[in-house]
Amino acid sequence: MSVGQWAKDLGMGVRFAFAGGREGWVRALLTAVGVGLGVALLLLTTAVPSALTEREHRATARDDFTYGANPLSKADDTLIIAEVDTTFRTQDVRGRLLEPEGSRAPLPPGVEKFPAKGEMVASPALKRLLESDSGKLLSERLPYRITGTIQQSGLIGPAELAYYAGGSGLANHLSNGSIERIDYFGPSSGTPDDELDPILILLVMIIFVVLLLPVGVFIAAAVRFGGERRDRRLAALRLVGADGRMARRVAAGEALAGALLGLVLGTAFFLAGRQLASLLKVRNISVFPSDLNPSPALAALVAVAVPAAAVLVTLFALRGVVIEPLGVVRTAKPPRRRLWWRLLLPLAGLALLYPMMGQGNGNGNFNEWMVIGGTVLLLVGVTALLPWLVEAVVARLNSGSVSWQLAVRRLQLSSGTAARMVNGIAVAVAGAIALQMLFAGVESDYTEDTGNDPSRAQLTMHVRDDVALGELAGQLARTEGVRHATALAEGSLGDRAKEPDNTVEATVAGCAELREVARLTSCRDGDMFRILGSEYDGETKKLTEPGETLYFDPAYPGSPSHTVSWKVPAGIKVAGPREDPTGYERGGLLFTPGALPEGTGAAMFETVYLSLDTSVPDAAEFARNTAARIDPLTSVNALTASRQSEEFRAIRNGLFVGATCVLLLIGASLLVSQLEQLRERKKLLSSLVAFGTRRRTLSLSVLWQTAIPIALGLLLASVVGLTLGAVLLRMVEATVSVDWASVLTMTGIGAAVVLAVTLLSLPPLLRLMRPDGLRTE
Amino acid sequence: MTPPPGSLLAAEELRKAYGPTVALDGAEFSIHPGEVVAVMGPSGSGKSTLLHCLAGIVPPDSGSITYNGHELAGMSDAQRSALRRSEFGFVFQFGQLVPELTCVENVALPLRLNGTSRKEAEKAALTWMERLEVDGLRKKRPGEVSGGQGQRVAVARALVTNPRVLFADEPTGALDSLNGERVMELLTDAARSTNAAVVLVTHEARVAAYSDREIVVRDGKSRDMERVV
Repeated sequence: MSVGQWAKDLGMGVRFAFAGGREGWVRALLTAVGVGLGVALLLLTTAVPSALTEREHRATARDDFTYGANPLSKADDTLIIAEVDTTFRTQDVRGRLLEPEGSRAPLPPGVEKFPAKGEMVASPALKRLLESDSGKLLSERLPYRITGTIQQSGLIGPAELAYYAGGSGLANHLSNGSIERIDYFGPSSGTPDDELDPILILLVMIIFVVLLLPVGVFIAAAVRFGGERRDRRLAALRLVGADGRMARRVAAGEALAGALLGLVLGTAFFLAGRQLASLLKVRNISVFPSDLNPSPALAALVAVAVPAAAVLVTLFALRGVVIEPLGVVRTAKPPRRRLWWRLLLPLAGLALLYPMMGQGNGNGNFNEWMVIGGTVLLLVGVTALLPWLVEAVVARLNSGSVSWQLAVRRLQLSSGTAARMVNGIAVAVAGAIALQMLFAGVESDYTEDTGNDPSRAQLTMHVRDDVALGELAGQLARTEGVRHATALAEGSLGDRAKEPDNTVEATVAGCAELREVARLTSCRDGDMFRILGSEYDGETKKLTEPGETLYFDPAYPGSPSHTVSWKVPAGIKVAGPREDPTGYERGGLLFTPGALPEGTGAAMFETVYLSLDTSVPDAAEFARNTAARIDPLTSVNALTASRQSEEFRAIRNGLFVGATCVLLLIGASLLVSQLEQLRERKKLLSSLVAFGTRRRTLSLSVLWQTAIPIALGLLLASVVGLTLGAVLLRMVEATVSVDWASVLTMTGIGAAVVLAVTLLSLPPLLRLMRPDGLRTE
Repeated sequence: MTPPPGSLLAAEELRKAYGPTVALDGAEFSIHPGEVVAVMGPSGSGKSTLLHCLAGIVPPDSGSITYNGHELAGMSDAQRSALRRSEFGFVFQFGQLVPELTCVENVALPLRLNGTSRKEAEKAALTWMERLEVDGLRKKRPGEVSGGQGQRVAVARALVTNPRVLFADEPTGALDSLNGERVMELLTDAARSTNAAVVLVTHEARVAAYSDREIVVRDGKSRDMERVV
């Protein structure tokens, strides 16, 4: 067979695809929409690496903490920058105060000129939020006039909340860990690239397989739209002399036309979707349209693979079909599907994954290709097993209502179409169940117990040393939604005035506040204590014996100090250790305000633990506003019982974003496929209505036709998903346990997508059931 | 004009347009119980539209249709559906059998839609299939039988509810002459044996020859022709 003949036949198929007037165009368009949605998602996937790289580049380009070994001196090209990040409800706000020290001070990326004191440049999203009603509380915290906008080069995403405000007097607080003098923005030298650990790499690989496989399955299903009408055309071709092979190639040509048009539509969908990307924010992730640039090589692969897959899928689908010149295509019951080769796929997958058991942990000594290959085979096994399962089960279904009978008989006659419709969902659900199991199994490795006790306090604040402790506690306690504020001043004492070998902590507060951080038997103003028995404290007992001399705020090179010497008095009391609300068990010395030696308070920083009334909406926001009013440099942190690894959380969020896109695609493609099937049966539906069939009966039959295969698909997906999940957990040497809640959630989401699609297809179904569908002229 | 006395189904001054295309333009029609009336005319003359209006499938733009003294226009969609289920039977050019049901299930379908149990419906269906000489096809699906056989199954389906009016739209249009004649013989014999009226839409004179009376539709207007035997 010559290439020319192939091309000729495919070309004829392409022409057929668009022939047949409106009917032909609608059919080709539906195929193209199905393929196009898949292509758009594939292009989006090929753009993910560039989007991540661009985000990473911009994030690194604005790095402002260089952690240099040698502190800089004030110069014409230096800038003092203070980190004043905050949180507004659930959103993070990146904030910096800038104080240029000379004309050549570096400007942050995306900022055209330094804001003056009382002014700020804000990201567009923050500007919108501050100007909206919902941002009023935040605007109280950021009392700056907006004089400019941070450009794209200074933001990681369009929805990022960020600002740079003008600061003054920052040089006085350089010893504070969140204020630095810098002479450039960008990565600090010698920062090593972070490498993902092997389990996270495994998660990312599986996510890509799980998200992309349903897309492939859907593209394969979409190119088979309109099969019944096409079969009749093929029979007509046979009548005028085409042989069987030629007819198949013409059919492949029709699918090719749909795929090519789908490529065009998919590109258009992608470009249109890219423009809308800046309006979307999923789990705090937003992307600039210009970041979404498909990798040219991967995009070219999509452009070649999709049409090629269309041709191959059509030829494969027609392998068991007899196209005869007169008899149209045999619509008699096809031969029973065989199980043995369908089982080979998942078994081969398991065989590839088995040697990887225990290899994914620690040094990550697993073969990536075996993992990907095994997962693909196991999941593709779902698409191979499902048609067999649907056929085997529906063959045994029989009696029931008319709607049930219509549905079951339809499934018995063409269970393949129904199975194809739910294949994508089944693969997605199987993969999602496996991933959820893996996530749940390794979650504890990436979640650390912070030791915080949120039942005692929900916020902790660190305030500069020059704010009066009583004043601070009073203002915070009077804030709406604050139950009580525990304010402490903290510092240290050394065994030498300069560069001490040993130090102990010093904590100053009233008796009630000191009881929050230590066990005191009795206390009144003027008392002082030494804490003995603290778990990690070996110094206190040794350094605080009565008569020992200690030095408040000992001096270190390069940082200012106000060293004061002090002798431990004979009557000092002993206190027992107690964890503070952050879970820290301190040692050292405790002073009530009346016991604090003269001139020692200046070197202390202040910590406040806030207990909030959670019934007051925005209680935390009111407290943060008060803190910012006292001092914009106050750092406020929420206390949580556990904290998850940033990378782990990012990957989980990525899965969520990807799964959302795939489910939307699956839903849209299912709808298109459903409409196409209904359209093909328009005349039959009209004739059934003509002789009095109730619309309810027909609607129910459509529902059953979808519900039966989806129930079987989800059952199979659960089995395969649990198997894959168990294998993956063994691979990382985690305990195999089934998270039934996520199994039910995943299958529930799959079922909900199908139900939503069925409901959406009901209005067109009711329109198609109008008797005027019988008109032929 | 008032309907002829004793008529079972009658239409007056029917008008129906699909967009700018006028399908019926003042058409008249009447039929008596047990009567076979052929509606003839060239393609696009409005024959099928007349049949669809008479059967309550499509509402006319104006004019009146009465069945057994009841105005169809006064009935709801559900009432017209119930009427079609219980009183009318239909045969279309391509049978329009449900491809996934077996032949006996296709014939039993109208009875099942009326609430008859599956067993009883299939028993009655078999009786009609025997009368139409297709009882051997009971377990076959429509895709496995010939055009003539399929059309006879469709006639059995139309008659299984013992309808008072049988609407047949080009019932032999897709058959060769031999098969067509056999279908017409069986259809008219069966209808006459149950005293059912038959509205037979056709453009073939040899099919119309099975009728008692002919109505010619041209440009949406109808003309009652006397049968010349």
